[in-house]
Amino acid sequence: MTTVVTIETSTAVAPSRGPRGLVWVMLRVHRWALWFWVLLVAVGAGALLFVHGPGTDAAWSEYRAMGCDSPEVGQACDYSGPAISRLGLANSLGGLLNFVPLLAAAWAGGALIGRELENGTAQLAWAQSVSPARWLAAKLAVPAALLVAGTTLLTLLHRLAWSSAAPLRSIVPWREWYDDDIFLANGTLATAHALLGLAVGALAGLLLRRALPALAAAAVGLLVLTQALGSLRPYLWPVETLTQKGMYPPYTGMVLDDGALTSTGARVEDPLCINDTKCLADHDIVGFYRDYHPSSHFWPLQLVETGIVLAVVALAVLAAFRLLRRRTGAAV
Amino acid sequence: MTETAIEAAALGKRFGRRRKRALDGCAFQLPAGRICAVVGPNGAGKSTLLSLAAGLLHPSDGTITVLGQAPAAAREQVAYVAQDKPLHPQLTVADTLRFGRELNQRRWDDRVAERIVAEGDLDPDAKIRTLSGGQRTRVALALALGKRPELLLLDEPMADLDPLARHQLMATLMADAAERGTTVVMSSHVVAELEGACDHLLLLGAGRVRLAGPLDDLLAAHRLVTGRADAGLDPHTVVESRTTGRQLTALVRPEGPLDDTWQSTVPTLEELVLAHLRAPEAPALRLDSVPEAAV
Repeated sequence: MTTVVTIETSTAVAPSRGPRGLVWVMLRVHRWALWFWVLLVAVGAGALLFVHGPGTDAAWSEYRAMGCDSPEVGQACDYSGPAISRLGLANSLGGLLNFVPLLAAAWAGGALIGRELENGTAQLAWAQSVSPARWLAAKLAVPAALLVAGTTLLTLLHRLAWSSAAPLRSIVPWREWYDDDIFLANGTLATAHALLGLAVGALAGLLLRRALPALAAAAVGLLVLTQALGSLRPYLWPVETLTQKGMYPPYTGMVLDDGALTSTGARVEDPLCINDTKCLADHDIVGFYRDYHPSSHFWPLQLVETGIVLAVVALAVLAAFRLLRRRTGAAV
Repeated sequence: MTETAIEAAALGKRFGRRRKRALDGCAFQLPAGRICAVVGPNGAGKSTLLSLAAGLLHPSDGTITVLGQAPAAAREQVAYVAQDKPLHPQLTVADTLRFGRELNQRRWDDRVAERIVAEGDLDPDAKIRTLSGGQRTRVALALALGKRPELLLLDEPMADLDPLARHQLMATLMADAAERGTTVVMSSHVVAELEGACDHLLLLGAGRVRLAGPLDDLLAAHRLVTGRADAGLDPHTVVESRTTGRQLTALVRPEGPLDDTWQSTVPTLEELVLAHLRAPEAPALRLDSVPEAAV
């Protein structure tokens, strides 16, 4: 027994610190992608921290210095200045989060999978003691972990910046919670979409087996999917309806539909009578309605859409594994 | 210890529905411990066969077993070097060897791999992308031998090596294989590079097995004969014959004692292979002890 142990230790490699096996290979082979991601997260986080703290403070003092907060100036104040421009710029850097899914798709299709199948380095890995399925698992798991960590951090910082900029939004024309990019960056969707990019890219890479076509297909595929999923968004949770007699109810939240109501309560197209009472009477218009999502629907909408996106991710990953298995035979 | 290194039955591989089969009904058996040459013209299916044995492709028809198991299950005991020697260009030589160590944790031997790299005077810190084709081949072979395989599959291993490096690497390979009883399967279309190194032959043509068996037996089953052009060669199987003036030279498979009118010699490997390449219609011959007859 002792001899066996000695033989094994003499041939086995002394355990080195740090990641081993496929994880080491992933981090080493895609070292530049890793650094790029770290840099991107750092830039995004820095910008969002700036919005959260000094950026907003500077905008406020600029606002006060221009006298916009005094009652005499009030609404007439045309507020613009370097501080608010800087804040806007920082905000858009924070919005880089919205490009992460596209970057992930292009990278996964091109560099992660497509190029390796094109130049044979994928087959090189499978010719070691690693099955194609384990190879693909590592190819997906390591970037997924890094994407989840990075996007979660950026989402949390985006929420922080969003809340601290709230008072400013009431004064300066600003973004709304339901704008596509804000909606994505403020919740779980940013992470889900990043994973969608990775999965779509990996599937495109496996299907096309060449770097450039896979890169293009992954980018186009992701954009189409994102558009399709985004167009479903308003219907993922029951809407609320406001009605008011004689005039339109206030415009609030994510408005989906509005129009006129007859005396029977039927919804009809607004005949555009404005204040012409005869016209209103002719059309039997007694009130107006508006269907909308209040901001309290943010999380229900966010979570239902996240669930759908993650289901699509799961399907793409499953398809990728099945495709690989069919090509290379039984995976062990 | 498994007796059979590779066994194929009715093995076929087709890439895409409309294209011709790369392999079609291949059957052969390779005993363990042999150095097997896989020869054939370009497009004969040599690379496809090696990829199937390495578990990188799935056969369309038939079966292939490697070391008594499915190729995917034997992955750990098999090393494979692809024809274009793919390596990660952005890795250094040392990192490429670490790649092998990390992905073959139960088998890897640093000393073997490092020796092969050192014999080529390669700087461990050189990036793969800066190496010449021959140097990359050396690193790819170091990666394959560092795994300590029981079966080594080499696709055109020596193609871009200079004669000295080829000679030296071949010697290293053969010494290592002899010492450890490794089965080596090596494809090539340069027959001269295989002469003297191999003891088993698999000749492929148009996706089919044309010759299979121990090299000595295959050579012994053939005769290169010369004689007068009007003399008959019945009942022997004529693989290929050429007439120059009134003289006829032929490679035959004697079906009994040869007539005294014929001058006959045992062919060399090169003569055997060339005659079969020139005569793609010649019947197949299998001497590798599998019950089913040749197709």
